[in-house]
Amino acid sequence: MQLVRKKSGWLVSGAVIAAACCACTWAAPPRANGGNGTTDIPGALPGIHLVSPVPDGQWTLPGGDYANTRYSPLAEINTSNVQNLKVVATTATGIDHGHEGQPLVVNGTLYMVTPFPNNLIALDITKPGFPRKWVFRPHPDIRAVGVACCDIVNRGASYADGKVIYATLDNHVVAVDANSGEKVWETPVGDIRYGETTTMAPLVVKNVVFVGNSGGDLGVRGKLTALDVKTGKVLWTAWSTGSDQDVRIGPGFHAFYPKDRGKDLGIRTWTPGQWKLGGGTVWGWISYDPELNLIFYGTGNPGVWNPDMRPGDNKWSCTIWARDPETGYAKWAYQVDAHDGWDYDAVMENIPVDMPWQGRQRKLLLHPGRMGFMMVLDRETGEVLSAEKFEPVTWANDYNLKTGLPDENPDKRTHFGHYTTDICPSSTGAKEFVPSAFSPRTGYLYIPAHNTCMDYEGTEANYIAGTPYLGASVRMYPGPGGYQGELVAWDVEHAKKAWSVKEKNFPVYSGVLATGGDVVFYGTMDGWFRALDAHSGKVLWQFKTASGIIGDPITFLGPDGKQYVAIYSGIGGWMGASDFPSISSDDPYATRGANGAMRDIKAYTRPGDTMYVFSY
Amino acid sequence: MSSATRFLAQAVLGCGRTLRSAAPLLAVCVASCICAAGCNSGARSVAASSAAPVPTAVGPVPGAASEPLHRTDPFAGDAVAAQNGWRLFNWYNCSGCHGGHGGGSMGPSLRDKVWLYGSSDDQIFDSIAEGRPKGMPAWGAKIPEDQIWQLVTYIKTMRTPGEPDPPNEPANEQTPDPDNNERMMVGTQPAR
Repeated sequence: MQLVRKKSGWLVSGAVIAAACCACTWAAPPRANGGNGTTDIPGALPGIHLVSPVPDGQWTLPGGDYANTRYSPLAEINTSNVQNLKVVATTATGIDHGHEGQPLVVNGTLYMVTPFPNNLIALDITKPGFPRKWVFRPHPDIRAVGVACCDIVNRGASYADGKVIYATLDNHVVAVDANSGEKVWETPVGDIRYGETTTMAPLVVKNVVFVGNSGGDLGVRGKLTALDVKTGKVLWTAWSTGSDQDVRIGPGFHAFYPKDRGKDLGIRTWTPGQWKLGGGTVWGWISYDPELNLIFYGTGNPGVWNPDMRPGDNKWSCTIWARDPETGYAKWAYQVDAHDGWDYDAVMENIPVDMPWQGRQRKLLLHPGRMGFMMVLDRETGEVLSAEKFEPVTWANDYNLKTGLPDENPDKRTHFGHYTTDICPSSTGAKEFVPSAFSPRTGYLYIPAHNTCMDYEGTEANYIAGTPYLGASVRMYPGPGGYQGELVAWDVEHAKKAWSVKEKNFPVYSGVLATGGDVVFYGTMDGWFRALDAHSGKVLWQFKTASGIIGDPITFLGPDGKQYVAIYSGIGGWMGASDFPSISSDDPYATRGANGAMRDIKAYTRPGDTMYVFSY
Repeated sequence: MSSATRFLAQAVLGCGRTLRSAAPLLAVCVASCICAAGCNSGARSVAASSAAPVPTAVGPVPGAASEPLHRTDPFAGDAVAAQNGWRLFNWYNCSGCHGGHGGGSMGPSLRDKVWLYGSSDDQIFDSIAEGRPKGMPAWGAKIPEDQIWQLVTYIKTMRTPGEPDPPNEPANEQTPDPDNNERMMVGTQPAR
C-alpha cells in the first residue's frame, strides 16, 4: 500500500475525496467516487462537458463515473503503442457461466463479483500476478438459480464509504468492508418465490444505494429500491407499476408529452389487476447527474410478453425515468414504447452529456435503445430531440418528436395466435443491456450493436408464481446485410453513424471502453478482445481469449504507474446461454428464441470463467 | 435362485426397455430399481402397522419387489396424448423454462440425451411430480396425474417422427448443425 501512495499521488487524493464523501450532505457539492474530481477532459471537443468526474486511475463505479460514460482519460496506452499489449495477469472464478459486468479497482485492490454464488474476490494489484487477498462468500439461496431468466449473471459492484456494495441473485444487497472483506450489512430487497432476482450493479450516490430487480419474464413487478449506505436500511421504493404513490409520482412530476400525463397511469393503463404482474423491472444501469441532482434509469418489458393479454399502454414499462435521488420522486418520465409487443426493454444506459446540439448548448441524455433507435433526450425535461435508427428496424418507421410516439408499422405488431414475421430488431434488441462508451475527444458514442430479427407468435400463458410468464413463441435469426454484430461509432451531434466494425457471426454482447489514448476496447462472443482507433475504427490490436466475451472492459493505473486494461471472458447471459451444454442447438425457439440466432456458437467457443489483465 | 438374484433379474427385466437404448442408462436403472424396492418395502410396513408394529426399512432391502418396478406411461405412443402434452407444455410454462420446443433455456434441454434424473417414463414422471433441485417446481400437487403422463408422452416424442409441431425452420434457412454429434440417431432414441 505504501508503494501505491508513493508512486501515484492521485490515489491519495482519491482516498481523501472518498473519505470526505462520507461526511457529505445533500447540499454539499458532489464529488467523484474515487477519481481526480475533474470534468475537464484533455482534448475534449469544444462545448462537450461531462457532468461527472471521470475515473482517473481507479474504477470505483460500474460505469466508471456517475454518468456511465465509460471513458477513461488515461492515455499511456494509445493508438501508437496499443499493439504492444500483453497479458500480465489472469484469474479464474471457477464458475463457467456468463461473466457480465466489470471489476472495480480501488486503493491497490481489484474486486470482482462472480456469477452465482456471487462471491466477491479481492486481488492485490500491487504484487505480480495479482494474488488473491480474500474472498467474501454471501451464500445466496440456490433456489434463485431456477428463477433466473437469463443465466445466473451479475453485473458488478459500486465502491463507496469504504465498502464494496453489490446484490446477490437471491435479492440481498450486501456491503463488504473493502479492506477486511467482512460483511458490514446485508438487506433482502426481493423474494425469489415470485421469480424475482437481482442481477444489476447498484449505484451509490453519496449516502444512497440504488438497486433494481430482475424477473420481467416471470411476471415480477419492477421496482427501484434506495438503501442507506451506512446501515443498509431501505429508505424508499419506487415501483414501476401501480398508483402514483407507489410509483413516486408527486406534484413535482411533469412529463414532457401529454401521453405520459394523468393520474395513476400505473394502474389505469392495465386491465384490472394485471399491473401487479406488470414487469417494468429495473435491471440495467443507473446514472446520476450531479449538476441537476437527478438519477436516470429505464424499466423493462411489461408482463406477460403476449400483448393481447394486457390491453392498454402498460405504464410504466419500457420507460425512462428522471428522479430525485434523495426522495425518489419522479421529475419526468418518457415511455419509449407503449403496450410493448416485442420485449423492447428500455433498461439501456442513459448517459448525461452537455454538448452543442443544433447550434445551441444542450443538456442531453443519450439512450441507445434496444428497439433500434438512438434516442437523444433533453434530460431536464424528457423531450426527445432525436431518434435515429442505428441497425435495421422494421417495427417502426421513426419517432414523432412532437408527440413522442413511434410511427409503428402495424404489420409488425404481435398478436395472440398470429405468426408475425421479419420483425427487426429481435427481442434481444439492436443492442442489449451491454453498455456503450462516450468519448468527449471524438463526440462519438461507441455502441455494441446487434443485427437480429425474429418471428413471433403470441400464445396463451398462465401466471404461476416463480415460473416464466411469457405467452410468446419466438425464433430469432440474423438480420439483413450478412452480419450479426456491429461496433457502431455514433456521431451524436450529427445524429449519424461515423464508422462501424461489423462482426459477421455473432452480436456484440460486450460493453465498450473509450480512453484518452483514443483507443476503444470491446470483445466478441467468439472470444476476441479488440482495440480500435477511436477516430477511424481501424483494428489496432486483438487478442483471442479462452471463452466468449460478454463483460465490460475497464482500465486503471497500477502502483507501478502503468496503465492496465481488464476484461472478463466467460460466455453466457441470454444469448450466450446457447453455448451451454444444457441447450440443444436444434431448437431455434430455445432460450426465448435467441438460440435461433446463436446456434453456431458451440463451434466457436465454450463457456469460461477468466479475467484477463493486459498491459504493455 | 436367491432372493437377491431374483431381484436383480426383475430389475433387469424392468429396465429392458431402456437397455436397448444406451448402456450407461443401465446403472441409473438398476440404482432406481433398488430404490423402488426400498420404497415398496416401506409401503408394506405402513400397511402392516395397524396390525402390529413392524420396523420401518431405511434404504434398499433384499427381497423381491411385489409390484412392477417401473410404472410406464399409459399414453405411450398415443399421438393425441402427445399433442395434448405439447399444449400442456406451453400451458404450464414448461416452454418458458425448457425452451420453446424443449431445447433448453432457464432449465436444461429435454431434447438432448443427458437425463439428470433418468429417462424412463416413471423417472420423467417423478421429475415433474416431485420437482428437482435448482428450480424445477413440484407439479404433483398442482396438476392431474393424467396430464403429467401426457407431458411425459410429449417429451418422449422429441426428436422422433412423432413429435407434434417440431421446431423446423424454413428450408431456406436451414444450416448444418454445429453440434451434430449431440443429435440422437433413431437407434439411440429412448424407447417410446
